[in-house]
Amino acid sequence: MEVKLFGMIAEKAGAETIAVAAGTVRELRLAAEARIDGLAAMSYAIAVDRRIADDALKLDGNEEVALLPPFAGG
Amino acid sequence: MSTDKPHKKRDIFIDGPIDPAFVAESIAKHATRTDIGGHEIFLGQVRADGAAGTGDACIARTAAIDYTAYRDMANEQMTPIREEAFARWPITCLHVYHSQGVIKAGELCFFVFASAAHRQAAREAVAYVTDEVKKRLPIFGKEIIADGGHQWKSNT
Repeated sequence: MEVKLFGMIAEKAGAETIAVAAGTVRELRLAAEARIDGLAAMSYAIAVDRRIADDALKLDGNEEVALLPPFAGG
Repeated sequence: MSTDKPHKKRDIFIDGPIDPAFVAESIAKHATRTDIGGHEIFLGQVRADGAAGTGDACIARTAAIDYTAYRDMANEQMTPIREEAFARWPITCLHVYHSQGVIKAGELCFFVFASAAHRQAAREAVAYVTDEVKKRLPIFGKEIIADGGHQWKSNT
């Protein structure tokens, strides 16, 4: 599935998206951390269909998924 | 100005800085709403902070912030914040705008505007919405340092 990247995470990856295979948010996290240097040490959240999701959530591959570094609005 | 309903969907993002004239026009649009007794406004301005780790704040300062956002999610996350504000305070309207793109130090990047019959509701609603937007909206800020380089801003 395609994963959207933002801010510092997009910068580290050198890309706006990456493609990973994952059946849960936890698998997605591990796959992304294996792909993007430094991600494992970062504070970030995973959004599924534009809501913050926890590791246990199952994915069927049709969701809109994004990795979100710390928010900095305002 | 149409009546603002908490469920109305809108895009809070403005490309580039928020023009002070836009703030003035927003105020002027409320002249027809004679049920309003007070307006409260928060304006966020990009501050020329000293860069972290530099001993001397005069040497390396934030020249600008390049804001990006997960725009669809941010606009969706705005809906519950708006509903919470309307549920908690008797405000007549609420407007929120945030910049995208490069905003130089001294320029405006964030505009929260509530109106109510009485000042207390407007004040408290603006304080709440300002804090919640900073906490809950996926907006990212790259601080561009005056002497080159950058660092990522974090509200946490």
